[in-house]
Amino acid sequence: MLFTIAWRNIWRNKRRTLIVLSSVVVGVVALIMNDSLSIGMIRQMFENQLGSHVAHMQIHKRGFNDNKVIQSVVPDQKRVEEALRSTPEVKYFSRRVVTFGLVSSAINSSGAAIIGVEPDREPNITIIKKSIIEGRYLSGASHEVVIGKKMADKLSVGIGDKIVGMASTVSGAVGSDMFRVVGIFRTVSSEFDKSYVFISLGNAQEMLELGKDVSEFAIILRDRGLVEMVKSKIAARLGANYEVLSYADLMPLILAQMQMYKESMFIVYIIIGLALIFGIINATLMSVFERMQEFGVLMAIGMKNSRLFYMIMLEALVIGVLGTVVGMVVGLAMYLPLSAYGIDLSMFSESLTSFGVGSTIYPVLTLQSIVGILIVIPVFAVLGALYPALKAIRLEPVSAIRYV
Amino acid sequence: MNIIEIKDVEKTYHDNGVPVHALRGVTMTVERGEFLVIAGPSGSGKTTLLNVLGALDTPTKGKVYLEGEDLSTKSRNEIASIRLHKLGFVFQAYNLIPVLSALENIEFTMMLRGIPEKERHERAMALMEELDIAELADKRPNEMSGGQQQRVAVARAMVNDPSIILADEPTANLDTKTGANLLDLMQRMNEEKNLTFVFSSHDPQVI
Repeated sequence: MLFTIAWRNIWRNKRRTLIVLSSVVVGVVALIMNDSLSIGMIRQMFENQLGSHVAHMQIHKRGFNDNKVIQSVVPDQKRVEEALRSTPEVKYFSRRVVTFGLVSSAINSSGAAIIGVEPDREPNITIIKKSIIEGRYLSGASHEVVIGKKMADKLSVGIGDKIVGMASTVSGAVGSDMFRVVGIFRTVSSEFDKSYVFISLGNAQEMLELGKDVSEFAIILRDRGLVEMVKSKIAARLGANYEVLSYADLMPLILAQMQMYKESMFIVYIIIGLALIFGIINATLMSVFERMQEFGVLMAIGMKNSRLFYMIMLEALVIGVLGTVVGMVVGLAMYLPLSAYGIDLSMFSESLTSFGVGSTIYPVLTLQSIVGILIVIPVFAVLGALYPALKAIRLEPVSAIRYV
Repeated sequence: MNIIEIKDVEKTYHDNGVPVHALRGVTMTVERGEFLVIAGPSGSGKTTLLNVLGALDTPTKGKVYLEGEDLSTKSRNEIASIRLHKLGFVFQAYNLIPVLSALENIEFTMMLRGIPEKERHERAMALMEELDIAELADKRPNEMSGGQQQRVAVARAMVNDPSIILADEPTANLDTKTGANLLDLMQRMNEEKNLTFVFSSHDPQVI
C-alpha cells in the first residue's frame, strides 16, 4: 500500500514530476552518450594504433624497445620462427626492419620511421594495404615506397615520384637509397600518416647493411585476449636474449589513458549526480512542504517516523528508477543507430585525426556503464530526498497538522 | 475504568516571546463508554486539551495517563504505536489521505498494524456497510462531500477498535443537518459498541 501511495503521490503534481523525470532522463542520456562516445573514441584510438603498426605482440632483441638502434637485431630468426609456428594461438607473423631517418624529395624533407616489411605477409598484420588511397601497396619489387598522405603533401610528391631515404647503417655510416612512390595511404591518424614510410624488407636490409637481419617480429593472434598467456609461453621458450612484448607493453600511454578515463568518468557521474540531487531536493522539498499537514495526520493516526521516512524515500526512488529506465530506453534508442553508423565529426577531423581517432566515431556502451548508470542514478535520487525526508520526520504531529 | 486520566496539566505556548497559557492545571478523567464533549468558545484551549489527551502534544507540566500508562515516559515511536493501537482521531478538516479511496483510507491504519490485506479489506467493507457509506468505497476524498468525508474519517478512527476516539470540532465544517447526522452516528456507535468518544465543539446546538 505504501508503494501505491508513493506512486499516486508522484502523480499528484504531474507537471512537477515530469520536470524532475525529464532531468533524470536527460542525465541518464547524457551519461550514456558521454560514456559511449568516450569509450568508443579511446577504443578507436587503441584499435587504430594496433592495426596500423603495433600488432598484438612484437619480438625483438632484448633492449630494442627502449633503445631502437639499428644494431639491435633479432639474434636468431629461425628460432623465433620455429617458436611462432609451433604456437597454435599465433595466426600471422611478419618480419620487419625498423629505423628512423630522413626522407627527402626535390622540394622538401622530413624525419620518418622507415619500416622495412615483407610485402606478402605484412598486410595480414596491419591495415596499411587497406588504407591505400592512391596507387598500390608494395609488390615486392625493388625500390618501392609507400608513404602517408600527410607525408606526400609535405614532400609534394605523388605516385611515380622519387624520394630518397637516409638513415644510419649498422656500421655507423649514413645509408641512403632512392625509392619510387607506388602508393599513398591514409589512416585515421594524421600523425602516423606524416611519420611512417614503408619499403620492402630486402631494400631496408640492403640500405642499412643489415644482411639478413631484422629488428622485429610483429604477430597477430587468433584471440587477442590470450596475449599475456602466449607472451609468457613464447618468452619462456626464447629465453633472456629476446624481449616479447604485448600490445599493452607497447602502448602504455593509451592504456593509461583508458584507465584515466574510467577514473574521470567517476567525476562526471558525481557532477551529473549532484545536478540531479539538487533537482530532486527541490522537487521533494516542495512536495514535502505541500503535504506537511498530511504527514501530521499520518503521524497522528499512528504512522511511525521510520515508515514516513521510507514513504518519502520510496517516492524519490520510484522517480529515480522510472527516470533511469526511461532515460536508458531513450539513450539506447539514440545509441544503437549511432554505434552502427557512427557519428560523423568531420568538422573536427583535423584534431581527431591528430589523436588517431578518425572523423567518424562509433560509440561503445559497455555492460559496466549500463550497470553503473542503473545503480548510480537511483542512488542519487534517493540521496536527494534524504534532507526533505529528515525534515518531515523531525516535525511534531501537532505542528505538522497546523503547518500552513 | 479510566481510559484517560490527566493531572494538573498545563500547556504554555510562546507567541513572539509572550507566554500564552492554553491550559492551566487541568485535571480530568475519561471513563470507558463515555460520550464527552469539551465545550467552550474559540481560543479556550479545547484543541490543545484534545491534543494532549491524544498524545499529539506534550504538556508543559502535569501528567497524562492512558489506561494507566504515563505517556511522559514513552518514546516517540512508543507514542506513535499507542496512537495507532489505542486512539482514533477525527479532525475538523477530515484530513483523509487524498490519494487513497475511502476504502483504502479506512484500511490504511490496519495496514500500519500489519493486518493482512484480505482481513483489512473485509473489516473495512463491513464497517462501511454498518455506517451506510459502502457506496463511497471507491471514491477519493475530492469526490465526496464534507459529510461523507467526515463519516469516512469516523470509520477510519473506529476500524482499529481504539480505546477512545478523539474528535476535534468534527461538525465545524458541516452544515447543521449533516453535522447532526454525524453526531447521531457517533452516538449510535457509542451506544451500540460502547465506544468512548471525546469531542470538542463551540456550537451551542451540538452541546
